[in-house]
Amino acid sequence: MSAPGHAIDPPRRGPRDALSALLARVYALRWDVLPPLTGVAMMAMIVGALIVAPRELIEGELQRIMYIHVPSANAFYLAFFIVFVASLLLLWTRDMRWDAVARGAATVGVLFTGLTLATGAIWGKPIWGVWWTWDARLTSTLILFLIYSGYLLARSTSDVNDEQTARFSAVYAILGFLDIPIIIMSVRWWRTLHPQPIVFRGLERPAMPMEMFVVLLTGMAAILLLTLWFIVLRTEAERLAQRTESLRAAIDRREAP
Amino acid sequence: MVGDVNAALAVVLKDLRLTWRDRAGWLSAASFAAISVLIYSFAFDLATSDVRPLLPGVLWVTFLFAGVIASGQSFQRESEQGTFDALLLAPVSPSVLYFGKVVSNLIALLVMEVALLLLATILFDTMLITAELVLIVVIGTIGYVSLTTLLSTMGSRLRSRTMLLPVLALPLLVPMLIAAVRATGASLGEPSGSAPWTLLLVVFALWSAAGAALLFPSVVER
Amino acid sequence: MSESAIEIAIETTALTKRYAGLSVVRAVSIRLPQGSKTALLGANGAGKTTLLGMLTTLITPSEGEARIAGFRLADNHAAMRRRIGVLAHSPMLYEELTPLENLAFFARLYGVEDREARCEELLRLVGLWLRRHEPVAVLSRGYHQRLALARAIVHRPDVLLLDEPETGLDGEAVALLDELVLCAPGLTVLAATHRHDRIGEWAGGTVVLERGAVVEDTASRPVEPAATDEAATPEPAWSAT
Repeated sequence: MSAPGHAIDPPRRGPRDALSALLARVYALRWDVLPPLTGVAMMAMIVGALIVAPRELIEGELQRIMYIHVPSANAFYLAFFIVFVASLLLLWTRDMRWDAVARGAATVGVLFTGLTLATGAIWGKPIWGVWWTWDARLTSTLILFLIYSGYLLARSTSDVNDEQTARFSAVYAILGFLDIPIIIMSVRWWRTLHPQPIVFRGLERPAMPMEMFVVLLTGMAAILLLTLWFIVLRTEAERLAQRTESLRAAIDRREAP
Repeated sequence: MVGDVNAALAVVLKDLRLTWRDRAGWLSAASFAAISVLIYSFAFDLATSDVRPLLPGVLWVTFLFAGVIASGQSFQRESEQGTFDALLLAPVSPSVLYFGKVVSNLIALLVMEVALLLLATILFDTMLITAELVLIVVIGTIGYVSLTTLLSTMGSRLRSRTMLLPVLALPLLVPMLIAAVRATGASLGEPSGSAPWTLLLVVFALWSAAGAALLFPSVVER
Repeated sequence: MSESAIEIAIETTALTKRYAGLSVVRAVSIRLPQGSKTALLGANGAGKTTLLGMLTTLITPSEGEARIAGFRLADNHAAMRRRIGVLAHSPMLYEELTPLENLAFFARLYGVEDREARCEELLRLVGLWLRRHEPVAVLSRGYHQRLALARAIVHRPDVLLLDEPETGLDGEAVALLDELVLCAPGLTVLAATHRHDRIGEWAGGTVVLERGAVVEDTASRPVEPAATDEAATPEPAWSAT
C-alpha cells in the first residue's frame, strides 16, 4: 500500500506504535469475529422480535417493526459519525485511505437511513392511512438521507483516487454532520406548530414493558454489529477500487509513448 | 491585519465592479427571481386569497434558489479565467479571500432581495419594507450565502456543478429556511408558534459563517 | 558551523508530488542561490509545472520540504508569498476589467504601498498605458502576457517563478522580459522554458527534469562540506529512475 502523505519523519517508537499495533491485530480478527457474532445477534433479535416480545395493545403485530426501525436510526447516526471522523482525518492526514472509510460508511449510512424511512412509512400507513406523516424524526431523517446521498453523488463525479474531490466531499460531510443537531431542532420546532399525535407509540421508554426493552436492546446490538460489518466490507471494497484504479493508471502510463 | 482588511476590501470592490461590468449573470438571476414570484402568484392564486400565510414561503424559496444559482455563477467565472489561483497567490490567508467573496455576494444578493421585496409589496399590497423584515432578510441571507459561497468554491472540479450546487446546498439550508419563513411570517403578524425563530436564524448565520471560514483553507489546497 | 556567504533563495529537499500513487515530481532537491537565474528544462509532462506549482504554494507537496526566501514552504506563510512573483501558464486576468483595473486590484491585494505610481510605471513599461482603459478581453495574447508580467512584479518580489514566460511575446516584449526579470540584477529566477535557443542569454544554470526527477543540475550550489556530515553535492548526471 502506498505510504501516507506525510513529510518524511523518522519512525517513532512508543505508546502510539503499540496502540496502532494493537488496533491492527484487532482489525485482523474481523472476519473471525464479526460474521458469527452478527449472525447470533441477528438470530436473537429476530426470535425476540417475533416471538418473545409481547404483542402491543393498540397497534398489534405491526408494532414489532419498531425492533428494526429504532436500531436502524442508531445505525445511521453511527455511520454518519464515522463519516465525520474519517473526513476530519482525511483533511488532517491527507491519507486517501480515510476517503475509502468515509465512502464506505456513507454508503452504509444511506442504506440504513433508507431502511429507517421505509420502516417508518410501513409502520405509519396502517395507522394513519398515509405513507408519510411529516413526523419530526422522519423528516429530519429524510433531510439527512438527502445530505449523505448528495455526498456520495458529489464524490462519484470524479474517480476514486481524486484527492481534490475527496477533500471537497469531506468538507461537505463535515458541514452536514455539524448541521444535524440544528436540523433536528428546527424540524422539531416546525412540527410543534401543528402538533400531531405520536405515531410510534412503542418508543416511549417509561411505558415499555421489560420484555420489549430487552428485545429492543438485543436489536440495537444486532443492528450495530451488522452496521460495523457492512462498513468494514464497504470500506475494503472502496479501498480495493482505489488500488485497482491506481494500478490501471500506472499501466496506462507505462504503455503511453 | 491592515493588509488583510485591504485585501478583503480589494476583493469586494473588484467583485462589485465585475458584477456591474458583467451584469448578465446577476440580471438573469434577478429576472429568474422576479418571474418565480409571478409564477407562484398564478400557481397559488395569490391575487385573490389572503396572501400573508403564503408570502414568506414564496419569498424565501425564491431568494434561496436565485441566491444559490447566482453565487454559484459568480465563482464559476473566477475558475474559468484562472484568476482564482491569482487570488490564492496573494500574501493573505485564504480565509480573508473567502470573507471578501462572501461580502460581495452578500451585497449583490441583498440588492436583489430588496428589489424583490419592493416588487412583492406592490403586487400583493402588503408592506414588506419594514425594519424588522429587512433585518430578518439580512440575517437569513448571511446564513445561506456563507454556505453557498463555500460550496460554489468547491464546485470548480465537480462535473455538472450547476445542478449539483443546489442539490448539495439546500438540504443543509433547511433549518435556515424554516426559521426565516417563520420569522418573516411572525413579523407580518402570522401565527408562528413560540419558538425563537430569529434567534435560530442568528445562530445559523454564526454557525455557517464560522464553519465555512474554518473549512475554506482545506478546500483550496491542492 | 560555517555559514555559506551566499544566501540560498530556493532550496528543496526531496520534494515529491503524487497524484493517485503516481509520482509526477520525484524527490527533487535543488539549491539555487540568491540572484541566480536558472532555466528549468524538460519535455512535456516532465513535471516542470507541478514543481513550480509547489514552489508557489498552489500545490501542496506529498513529501519533502522546501525553503523559499528563508521561509519554510510547509508553514505556508502569507509573508512568503509577498516575496514571490509568479508568471504562470495562463495569464490569470479578469477579462472584463481594464489593464489598469486589473493591475490596481492585484497591487492592492498584494499590499503595494505606492499603488497608483507603481501601476503607471509598470503599464508604461509594458506598453499598455495608452490602452489602460480598454477591457483586457480585446487585447492580444501578447498583451495579456505583458500585463501578466507586470502583475508578476508589481509587488517587487525577489524570487520569480515563471512557466514558459516567452509564450506569445514578440521580440520587443521578450526584451522587456529580459530587462525586467530574466536579466534583472538581484532577482532570483527559476523559469521553465522551451526556448533552448535563448538560455545562453540569461540563464546561469539549468535544471533538467525527466519523468519528475532531476537528471541534470548545473545550477544548484552544493552544501558546504563543513556544515553537514553527509555530502549533499548534486552530481552533474543522474540516472533516470
